Amino acid sequence: MIELSHVSKTYAPTFGRPSRAVDDVSLRVGAGEIVGLAGPEGAGKSTLLALVLGHERPTSGTVRVDGIEPRRFVEREGIGYLPQPFALPGGWRVTDALARLAVLAGVHATQTRARVDAVVKDLGLEDARRRRLRSLSRDARVRFGVAQAILADRRVIVLDEPLDGLSDDSLDRLRDLFITLRAFDRAILIASRDAAALHRIADRVTPIDRGRVRRIGAARPTTPVAIEAVFHLAVQHGAEHVLAVFPTAIALGKGVFAVRVSGLAVLNLGLRELLERGALIASLAPANARVEPNALSPMAEAAS
Amino acid sequence: MRARVSAYAGAQLRDYLVGRVPLTAVATGLAAWGYVYTHGLTWSAFDATGGIDARVQLQQAFDFVLASFAFLAAAFAAHGLVAKHRRRGYDRVIFSRPLSPMRYYAQGFFIAGLGAVALGSMAAAFYAAAVYPVSVIGVAGYVALGWLSIGGLAFLLSTLTVFHAPLLLAIIAGDLAFDRYVSGLRASGGGSLALDVAQYVLPPGHVVASLSGSFARGASIDPRALAWPVAFGAICIVAALLLLRRRPFGT
Repeated sequence: MIELSHVSKTYAPTFGRPSRAVDDVSLRVGAGEIVGLAGPEGAGKSTLLALVLGHERPTSGTVRVDGIEPRRFVEREGIGYLPQPFALPGGWRVTDALARLAVLAGVHATQTRARVDAVVKDLGLEDARRRRLRSLSRDARVRFGVAQAILADRRVIVLDEPLDGLSDDSLDRLRDLFITLRAFDRAILIASRDAAALHRIADRVTPIDRGRVRRIGAARPTTPVAIEAVFHLAVQHGAEHVLAVFPTAIALGKGVFAVRVSGLAVLNLGLRELLERGALIASLAPANARVEPNALSPMAEAAS
Repeated sequence: MRARVSAYAGAQLRDYLVGRVPLTAVATGLAAWGYVYTHGLTWSAFDATGGIDARVQLQQAFDFVLASFAFLAAAFAAHGLVAKHRRRGYDRVIFSRPLSPMRYYAQGFFIAGLGAVALGSMAAAFYAAAVYPVSVIGVAGYVALGWLSIGGLAFLLSTLTVFHAPLLLAIIAGDLAFDRYVSGLRASGGGSLALDVAQYVLPPGHVVASLSGSFARGASIDPRALAWPVAFGAICIVAALLLLRRRPFGT
């Protein structure tokens, strides 16, 4: 769906030295995948996303979305996008702004109201409906930004720092939302400084620093979690209870199990029972997620 | 699912009414006050029944205010249309939707022009009813001419650079100054063909400025006088739209 091949982007100001924001990056995000892009500020994440949107053109290499040049794709289908920094006229009120953007997103006139109400509810913006954008808190602004990105049903969603500056409640809300956004024909790319939060959401997390991807895993087909999914569950102790709670689970060693469930409700019930039995859960991730070895090793050591 | 750009026209008109109309009204009011102050006019000068002198004064004052309005309304209509979006990053949000920047800004420019013409017509109708008869249709045509030529230039500059406002002022001021210089030379028997050609192909601010009286009185206008302002505006608008088609965002 999204494909970057040996992409570099160099900014060459009239005065001063050229700076390379992205350096020979190759990345593929397939349909049905959620891919995270983790890196510190100035790592090149936003530039990479701007290339995917066609807001910038690469100095070298190619960017394709659904096989075509990004700008053409955007003008044809649109992309659900949260830019960083996120800016709209501060005088616009929340629901008015969403209604305007829904019109531009192509949402049908008869559905605009319902769609706006739905995203307002999903993002917990009910109390801010009539407030002007300039008066929103940082947390509410980020949630508004995500709301406008998911107004219309898009095959590609690109979010730049959607987890930045959020309260714990908002983080939980967004995590749940991202799970519901997963669809077999949708590619989701999320950039964040918070690698740990990304690991909990994404199937793969690609670290980027100083414009270079440190290590990339190839994309592979994924299983939509909405119907049936496999999760990797790691327990620090109490591994003996896992098979009792999830009889079909497969032990992968070092306290890690592959758990197949028919839905999130079943998974959560099982986890609650596991905790009640005294197990200590170290991590939980979709089976397609590739957790960085550095992040995994302390947990695995503890579990062994 | 394509953007419903036509349905967005109402929002663009509202933006114009809320954001540009007050600015245009205040700036035109200041220009009118400046004219009255520098010419030492008093309220009695605006009594149209006060004889021929009063009527001439009134016409001259109206011609000046109309020319000021046409310039200001056109400049404000296109002011920062593209540059403001780019500078503040609104374009990144708007153009992640399935719509063409060319279509979006062309519609915005057109609606702002319609707003300017409607505003000018209403003000002229009020003036005609309350003070002295003027051609409302002529005023509407004049504001449209200003929007096409000066507004077209402002639109192009806004597409090119964030320094569009000072650049527009400098171009118009330079144009008027050069026109005055060449006209002065010609009056004193000087001038040359090259200067005449240069004067003709300058941005047509000086041509538009000189036509306000004829339009306000509904007089017939020599089409040759309109040719360059119309052509200049059309060239600017087409160039702006082509630039929007080709130029990446965020630059």
